[in-house]
This record gives sequence, C-alpha cells and structure tokens, in this order.
Amino acid sequence: MWNWKITATSAALVILVGLAAISFGPINLSFAKILKSLLGIHGGLSGQDRTVLIDLRLPRALLAALVGAALASSGAVYQSVFRNPLADPYLLGAASGAGLGATIAITNTHGDIYRLLPVFSFVGGTLAVLTSFFISGKFFAEPQSLLLSGIAVGSFATAIQTYLQQRHSSSLRPVYSWILGELTVANWQIVTWSSFYILMAIGILFLVSKQLDGLMLSDEEAFSLGINPNRLRVIAVAAATLATATAVSASGLIGFVGIVVPHLVRGITHRVTNRNLLTVALTGAAFLMLADLGARTLLSPAELPIGVITAFVGAPFFLIVLRRRRTVQS
Amino acid sequence: MILVDRLDVTLSGKKILNDLSLSIPDGVWSCLVGPNGAGKTTLLKVLLGNTPYSGSVTSNGEEVFRSHQRNVAFVPQQPHIPQGITVAEYVTLGRAKKDGWGNESVKSRALIAEILELTHLYGMHKQLVSHLSGGEMQRTLIARALAQEPELILLDEPTSALDLHHQIEVLNNLQFLQERGVTIVSTMHDITLAAMYAERIIVMQSGRVLAEGDAQEIIHSAELRKAFDDRINVFTLDSGRPVIVAKKDGK
Repeated sequence: MWNWKITATSAALVILVGLAAISFGPINLSFAKILKSLLGIHGGLSGQDRTVLIDLRLPRALLAALVGAALASSGAVYQSVFRNPLADPYLLGAASGAGLGATIAITNTHGDIYRLLPVFSFVGGTLAVLTSFFISGKFFAEPQSLLLSGIAVGSFATAIQTYLQQRHSSSLRPVYSWILGELTVANWQIVTWSSFYILMAIGILFLVSKQLDGLMLSDEEAFSLGINPNRLRVIAVAAATLATATAVSASGLIGFVGIVVPHLVRGITHRVTNRNLLTVALTGAAFLMLADLGARTLLSPAELPIGVITAFVGAPFFLIVLRRRRTVQS
Repeated sequence: MILVDRLDVTLSGKKILNDLSLSIPDGVWSCLVGPNGAGKTTLLKVLLGNTPYSGSVTSNGEEVFRSHQRNVAFVPQQPHIPQGITVAEYVTLGRAKKDGWGNESVKSRALIAEILELTHLYGMHKQLVSHLSGGEMQRTLIARALAQEPELILLDEPTSALDLHHQIEVLNNLQFLQERGVTIVSTMHDITLAAMYAERIIVMQSGRVLAEGDAQEIIHSAELRKAFDDRINVFTLDSGRPVIVAKKDGK
C-alpha cells in the first residue's frame, strides 16, 4: 500500500535539493538571504544577486523539477502499460521525432531559433507518437507491436535528422548540444507553458494510477474487475506522451531519468510504482535538479550538458537493474 | 441461467465459433472439453463479455457483451505474473470492483483473510507473487477470483500446469465454491478429472457443440469419442468411475 513516509522523505528531498540548486553556482548565494527574498521579508538579496536568483536560478531549478517529474512519472507509467520494466518515455519515437523537429528548426530558421524550437520539437514528438500508433494498428491486440513500430518510427526520424545535419554542417554544434539536453535556456516563459502541460498530464496520470494496477493482469481479468483495458492504455499513454513531449521540447533529450527514478523508488519501496506515482514524480524532480547542479558546478565556470550527467549515473544503474532481474528470474 | 443462441465469433477473418447454441444452468459446474482449436477459450471469453459476437448470449435475460453489471471472475491459462506485488495485495485486486481501485473496506479485509486460509496461502501472504511456484501461483489466481465473490467463475485450464496433488487441491477449492451456489464454467484437457468434478460436460469440436449434458452420460457417448477422432478409450473402474485414456497408434 501507499507509504506516506517515503513520499514525505522525497518531498523533503525536493525542497533541500531545490534550495541547493538555487544557492550554488559560479556565484554562491546564502540560504538565509534566498529564503528572505522568496518570502518577501526585508533583508533579502539585492541587485545582481537578486537578478541571478529570480531570472536565472529559480526558473532553471523549476524547469529541472518539472522535466524530472514528467520524465520519471511517464517512465513509470510506460513501464506498467507495456509490462516492460525497461520501457522509457522516449520509447514511442517521442524523442527522435522531437529531435527531428528541433533539427529542422535549428537548420532552417534564421535569427532567434530558440523561440521556435520548443514548438517544432513538440510537434515533431507528437507526430512521431501518432505515427507509431497509426502504423501499429494492432495496439489493442498486442501492446508490444506499438513498441516495435515506435522503434521503427524513431529510427526513421533519426535517419532524416542525421541527413539534415550533414547538409547543414554549420549548425552541428547547436543540434548536438540540444540532443544532449540543456536547461541553460530556462526562463519564466518556458517554465509557465511547460508547467501547464506537464502538471495537466501528471494530474491525469495520478487519476488513473490506481487502475493501472489492473493492467498487470491479463485483459480478460482486468475486464472482469470493471476496467476497460484499451481505453485505460490510450489515456495513460496519451498523458505520458504529452508530459514527455513537453519535457523534450523544453529541455532537449535528457536520458535515463525515466528508467532510473521509477526503479530507484521501486527498489526502496519494493512496490509497484503505480501506487507511488507521487513519490516517483517528486524523486524525479529532485534527481534532475541535482543532476543540473552537477552539470553547472563540476566544470565551473564551464557547463556540462545535463544529459551527460544523467547518462553517467543512469547507464551503469540500468545495467545493475538488468543483472538483478536476471538473478531474480534464475 | 446462461443461454447461448446461434453464436458466431470471427477473429481476424477466421471463424472460431460457428452457429453454436447451448445452455448453462446456474449453480452447476460445467466443463468444456474437446481437442485444441475447438474454440473453448473463445467461448469462455464470450461468456465473460469482452469478445464481440453475433447471435445472442444472455445471462438472466441480459445480453452479456460489455455488460459491467455482472460479477464474473476469469482465471486465465497463462497468467501475467506481475512484479513487485505481494500475494495479499494481488488477492485484494479482486475487491477492486466492489471497493473501488486502491481502497479496501473492513469487510474485504476479513474476507481476504478467510480466502487466504481456505486456499492455504495464509503463511505466504507477504511473499511476492513473482516468487511463487506454479501450484502456489494457481492458488493465488483462484484466491483472487474468490475475492471477487462472483456469480460466475470462468477458468481456462485451471490444472494444466500442476502436478496431480495440486490439481486435486485446486479442484477441491472450486468444488467448495460450487457447493456455495457459484456457477462454474471451466475448460479441461484431463477428461477423467472433468468427469470426476463437473456435473455437466459440453463436448466441442471445430467451433461447434457436439454434445452437452450430464457428465456421466456424456463420458460414455459416441460424440465424445468422435470429437477426438476416435483416438480415446473410456474404461470404467470397479468403483464405477470412468477413466479416459488416449489410444496409442490407433489401438
């Protein structure tokens, strides 16, 4: 059942990591002054420090938290819908489609590309997922076929993307830095629109999360317990994809969050993650803020792409999960 | 009473059930027997109500397709074994329709304790379902179906993966249910066991019903032998119990 202590711990973690994220950087800000500024009490930060906090650190930490929560909870949901513990939010071609959209934006527009980039990548990601759905057709008979068509659509989008990159070699660098994921562009505008979609999608996932337990059973058993398994899958996948596409268009491709966080929570609680979706979302938020803190400070004043940090932690973790699964099965 | 009238089911262009009519009385254990591909599992899914069909299938006068009013439990032949869920939690899923998903009433808690006792799962209720043996898994599936307090329970080959001892244990659990007035429809490859437990037997072949009726009569009927292309022998033990054995090389 739901374990409120673990949820409370993860919420505390979000606050702690969040404070650290807005306090540390090339300019270190004091905790006390940050708190005073945020609460509007006299004696807070002023001048340049205040600008750093309000216009740079705060939107960036919030965006990291939003994207982390979106990727982690949609990862957990994909894993239970597809009955595949290694499913991740980018599975249905959302990442490659968004990557293609972003590449088109970067290679074809002049001037301020970042204004159009989120729109392009959002449309690209959503189109790729819709195409996967359309091609698979048999989704209702066999969820695994959607997975396969997602992989095919993803490879196709990546191929076009590579072709475009080679034709416009001058823009190779911005494309790559976007693919590796970045939060450097965070501003209040991005935070506002992405929080709208992400919070809406996560809200829908919370509403259906308890019923998702029924998808652990066969479709006949789920039906006998009063669930319409196909309708539930469509709702869950649509909401998870909306969260993923928004996250990708706001921050680029940040890998492994959707796998690491659900498995971490599962490892600690020994429970299906559907029942801990709130914990998963909070842990995802804390994880990505921490990764971003690492990205900003490890090579300071230079920045590492955040995707490098998450992959650095995520890839070995992924292998440990795989190995443990094998030993459990044997 | 379930009445099936002129039932046709076509799945991906292939006719699985063909002009099939039969009746299933309440409170009785009916067993579907017949060779592989006879359409037994499809018929179970139609009775559950989630497979489209033409013709009519009514339960107490109500068409069953997409009807969520009925309380029917389904035990599949090959269950999906969920990760990260304990025996007690798994059995509690059976209460979801009555209590709402994620809730558990006080009444349900008492009922589940009783069911775990009955199915000899009480000591292992905190174990993960994915760590159970085949026999324990099957008992857990049946315990979840019992927790549903169904009016009708459908079981697809409930004993096929079990050793003899566990087969009898599972079937005794079902008999306990049937004595309490629950209607049971199961498929079973072991016709000897079917004759031992079920009161009615329905013989199927190629999407049709060849014979239906009292188990003891059907066992000795020509239709049963015909369903298996006359490749079975029916013997009667001194106790009067029938035993069905496959012929070797047609002898």
